[in-house]
Formats: sequence, C-alpha cells, structure tokens
Amino acid sequence: MFGGSKISLDKGLLARVKKFADLAGYSSVEEFITHALEKELAVLEEADSEEDIKKKLQGLGYIS
Amino acid sequence: MLRASVLSMLLALVACGGGTRSHQQSMVVLGIDGMDHGLTERLMAEGRLPNLSRLAQQGAFQSLATSFPPQSPVAWSNFITGLDSGGHGIYDFVHRDPETMTPYLSTSKEPEPGRTLNIGKWSIPLSGGEMELLRHGTPFWEVLEDHDVPSTIVRMPANFPPSGTAYRELSGMGTPDILGTPGFYSLFTTQPERITSATEAFIERVRVRNNVVEAVLHGPPNPLLVEPEELEAPFTVYIDPDNLVAKIVVGSEELILQQGEWSDWVPVSFDLIPYVQSVRAQARFFLKAVRPEFELYVSPVNLDAMAPVMRISTPPDYAVELAEAGGRFYTQGMPEDTNALQEGVFNNADFMAQASIAHAEIRDQLDYVLDNFDGGFLFYYFGNLDQVSHMMWRTMDPEHPAHDPVADAPFVNVIIDRYIEVDEMVGEVMERLPEATTLVVMSDHGFTSWRRAMNVNTWLLENGYITLMNPRRRTGIPYFGNVNWARTQAYALGLNGVYINLRGRDANGSVAPGDRNRLIAEISNGLLSFIDPSTGEPAVTKMYARDEVFSDDGYLEIGPDLIVGFAKGTRGSSESALGEFTDEIIFDNNKPWSGDHLMDHEAVPGVLFSSRPLTREVTSLQNLAAALLAEFGIENFPPAPQRPANEGGE
Repeated sequence: MFGGSKISLDKGLLARVKKFADLAGYSSVEEFITHALEKELAVLEEADSEEDIKKKLQGLGYIS
Repeated sequence: MLRASVLSMLLALVACGGGTRSHQQSMVVLGIDGMDHGLTERLMAEGRLPNLSRLAQQGAFQSLATSFPPQSPVAWSNFITGLDSGGHGIYDFVHRDPETMTPYLSTSKEPEPGRTLNIGKWSIPLSGGEMELLRHGTPFWEVLEDHDVPSTIVRMPANFPPSGTAYRELSGMGTPDILGTPGFYSLFTTQPERITSATEAFIERVRVRNNVVEAVLHGPPNPLLVEPEELEAPFTVYIDPDNLVAKIVVGSEELILQQGEWSDWVPVSFDLIPYVQSVRAQARFFLKAVRPEFELYVSPVNLDAMAPVMRISTPPDYAVELAEAGGRFYTQGMPEDTNALQEGVFNNADFMAQASIAHAEIRDQLDYVLDNFDGGFLFYYFGNLDQVSHMMWRTMDPEHPAHDPVADAPFVNVIIDRYIEVDEMVGEVMERLPEATTLVVMSDHGFTSWRRAMNVNTWLLENGYITLMNPRRRTGIPYFGNVNWARTQAYALGLNGVYINLRGRDANGSVAPGDRNRLIAEISNGLLSFIDPSTGEPAVTKMYARDEVFSDDGYLEIGPDLIVGFAKGTRGSSESALGEFTDEIIFDNNKPWSGDHLMDHEAVPGVLFSSRPLTREVTSLQNLAAALLAEFGIENFPPAPQRPANEGGE
C-alpha cells in the first residue's frame, strides 16, 4: 500500500497535520496525509473533465 | 451481363434514397418545449388562444405528466423510447462514472481518438470517431419505419448524433457548435470590464486604431497538428468615421451593419492545412455599439449548415437541403443565447431580438418541411418558448427576486406572446393540413417561476451526511475537492440527483450495502421535512427512490439513488449540481434565468392536444408514443428493452 520512499515534513507543518488529523477523526496521520494527497491528485486529474462538464452545463444555461 | 449491370445501377439509385416516400396515412406532431398546462388553460379560458381552443374542441386537450426529474433529456427520452430512465439510461443532464467519480454529460460522449499518421507537425486522421449517443431504447420512429411509415424527425432533443434510422432527421438539442460546446458567443469590446459575470464566452478587448478593429474568431484545436493549436479566423472592422455604421470583412465575405443591426449568417473558414484543407463554419454578427465605445457580438460559431463537418442529419445531406432551400440556420442545438443575457452582454431587448431571429428560421423551415411532407409521420420541435420562459419569467412575476418593475415593464408580456404565436402557428398548420391528417401538439413539461435555489450538498453537509477535510473552507472548491469521502455517506450531483456513497460501487464508498436503504429513507424524510425559512413552506415536496419508481430494464444502476422533487418555485442551485457548497442551504435566485421546471414533476405538467381523440389513453410522456403509433395500427411499442451486454453484478 505504501511506496518505498519517505518524505520529510517541516516540524511546524507536521504539528498542524497531526492536530488536524486528530480533530477530523482520522485514525492516523498517515491516513490523513494519504487521503489529502489522493484528493488533490484526483482534483488535478479530474479538473479537465469537471471543467468540461461545467462549461457544457453553463452553455445549456442550467447552471451559471 | 449488361442487364445485371443496369440492374445494379438501378438498385444503387434506390439505395441512395433518391426521391420522396409517401404514405396514405399521416400525422404531424408539433413539440413545443416547456408549454405549461396551467398557463395554456388560463389563456384559452381568456380567449387568447383561439386555434388551440378549436383544436381542443375538435379533438382533445389534456395535461400531460412529465418525467421525473422534469429535465429535457429525461423527458424527451421517455417520449422517444416509451421507457423510463431505467430503460433508456438518462436520469439527469449529468451522470458520473462511479469507478472514477468523473462526471459526464448523460446524452452523448465524445469519440475516442482514431488512428493517425504523423508527418512532421501534421497528424493525419486515418479513422474518424463520431459522437456516441448514450440514450438506450428503440426510438419510436424506428418502429414506424419497420412498418413502412416514413418518419421525418426535426430537432428532436436527445437525438444527437441523429439515430440514422428515420427517413429524414435533423438533430437538435445536444448538437454542438464548432468548438464542441453547446454554444459560447464572442464579444469584441473596448470595455470588457463592464462584463463582471464569470463566463466561458470569449470576451476580447479590442482597440480602435484609425477607425479599424482587427480581431479573430476562435475555432477548435487543429486536429491535424501533432501539437494542437487553436484555429483562428481573422476579421477586420472598418468603422465609418461619420456614421454609426461599420464594414466587417471575414475572409472573402464583406458585410455592412448599422449600430444595433444583426447580420445574416456569414460563412467562416478555418484553415487546417493552408490552401489544402479547411473547416467551414458560420456565424452571425450583431453590431451592438460603434462609438464612443465599440462592441461587436458574434454568435457561437456554428457548424456550417451548407457543409456540416459533423453528421447532423439523416441522410447526411438533409441539412444541406434545408439550407439550400431556406438559407443557413442555427445548427447548434439550442440557439437562443441565454448566456449572453445571463452574463450581461445582452439586455432584455437584445435577447428577445436574437431569440426572434432563431425562432423565425425554425418557423420558416416548418413550411418547407410541410411542403415536402407526403404522408407518414412528422415530428417538428420548437424550443423558443422554453428558452424565453427560462430567461424572462421574472418580467411577469413581481415576487421574483430579480424582478425590476421599471426595466421589465416593456417585456411583461413576452412569454404570453410566445403562447399566442404558437397558437397562430397551430392555426396556420391546421389550415394547410388535409382533414385526414392527425395533428398533435405536445410539450415535455410545464414551467413556473424559479425564486429559491437550494444547495442539496450544503443540506447534506449540515445534516451530517458529508464531512469536509477542511471545514473552514466550505465554498469555492470545485467538484467535491474538500470532501472527506471516508466520512461521507451521500452526495448530490446533477440538477436533481442524490447518490449514496456506497462501498463496492462508488470509488470512495464508505456506506455498507446493508445500510443503503436505511439511508435512502432517512435522507428522503429529512429533505421532505426541510422548511425554507423564507417562505415557511417545505422546499421539497416529493422524493423519488430510484429502485421504487424506475423499471429495472437494464440501466437502473446508472441512476442516482434518490431524485429530489423540489417544491414549485424552488430548484437545485448551480453550485450543488457539480459538487460545490454554499454558505446557506437555500437562498434567492437573483439571476436573469428566472423560470424553470426542474421540480416536483406534478408541479409542471405539459400539454397534449390532438385533432381527433386518440384511441389509446395517454397519461404521461412515456406512453404517448405508443398511443401515436397505435393510430397507425402499430401495437407493439415499446419493444422489449435491450439490456446491456455486460450486465451482471454492480
């Protein structure tokens, strides 16, 4: 599930990540980081498709 | 051998479809998108629709139940196939692929790239790809054709690309412009900052130098280039220094417009390979202002009706025949430029002028089609009443948040006038049709004011069904970008749909299958109980559970688990449709797009008129086609639904 590389995080950033992971109810910091990265990648990968659909719906007038 | 070759030539001529087909029986169906039963009934009672009243007395008039949800692609698919969404597979304008959560338009999809040969910077296509129509089920005209009833189907919505199975077809709603979009205009202006709305249109700053403006029309990416570049068609405007007049030169075309004047269709050519290959298109120009500020509106660049680069008719040259007979016409599926009004480029008068131009083409074309109709079945569609109702309802609703009593006063009757114009057209058609021809006038749904917008995703969030990764960033993140899927049980997508975030089905599913039905009931009850604080009334009056209301005819799994039937006057918000949240659950709709029908289906019934009572009872759009076919003695419609080949499992 996890790749072979490790990354370093700034202490301040790590503290914020830990605090947020706790507050949001994640079971671990790793779960939160994985989820956040997956979401960001999915947004980037789907951005074209979602933008395209948004354009087409705007073209039809039903959303603005 | 000579006889055999002559015979093959004759057979080839017949197979080419040369010549017309006739039939001893005939039926003409006029489809008036958005014609509301309540408003029609009221106007008839007031004596303002004499021809429709006469039609009703002669034959029949009733309300016609629409689809759920009452969205045009769903409604027309119900009519076309005689199936519900579980059979034709269209539940909303927008669906999603559950494995990737990628959204897509429900009715057609773009082709996979074909094989190409790369030579230097050129990529020569060796095989083409055509848009794929995603609507399933057998269109009723196929069954008519199987019984040798020639069918002419003009601008049927949700039929792009055209099915290819009718005697004559012209595609309508769903047909794109040259860029592959529903149609985005261009505005060339010295004051682009006056347009403050977000827009996908081309708002271009231009400079007037020595009374000359140079600009380009935007075309599609050049498909023949390995590294695609956008095609452009340059044009020049020469402004008269003394009068409010300009000459516009586009390629070899020249036109002169006065301020406030619309041009006819202007052919536009985009060079793919200079001197060798070009893409033909067409556009209309509207010289909005000459000085002190310059503004030139250009219509969406349409496929050239004289030489469409995509197949938009059956046979492929039927569109060309119509253009040669009556002139070029809007080939984009929905020609009324609602975006231009919505975004402040048009004012009410500009919009009504453009809408009238678009409608006049379609009205005039009906005369040609009727002149060439020699029996059989004819369906002819009008979208103008629907589009004008969407944009101008606020002018006749003083309670609408966007109503402006001063600016709207000159336009207060525009929608009523559309109904009167339909009535006049029906009268003209009744005069010219032989008595033996059955005339039917129908609509896909009704209309009402859209005053309140509800963000269902925000309701789901505030009721604990959605969790955000960063709760402090609620708004401005597109397509569920801030959603914590592991802690999300349901989401809204499209204009009426709610999906359970189901494990084993949805890419990020968190809900166990055993909990699905409980959640469906819980969310349904919750939405039905939600009271609009502004009105004190429920915002939702009906909830449709997919598995209860649709037939399992092969495409049930595509659909949302729930469909929201908003209360009359309320509709899903734009943000909710594509996974964005808002600060409030429900708020005023302040936009020019002020009339709508995406509500509880019982709030917006359509109409059905016939010049003689139909032998079969009709209760809804879904059983209308069967009743029409029964008039031709055809009883077996719809045929058994075709289930998908790979059906089995979720």
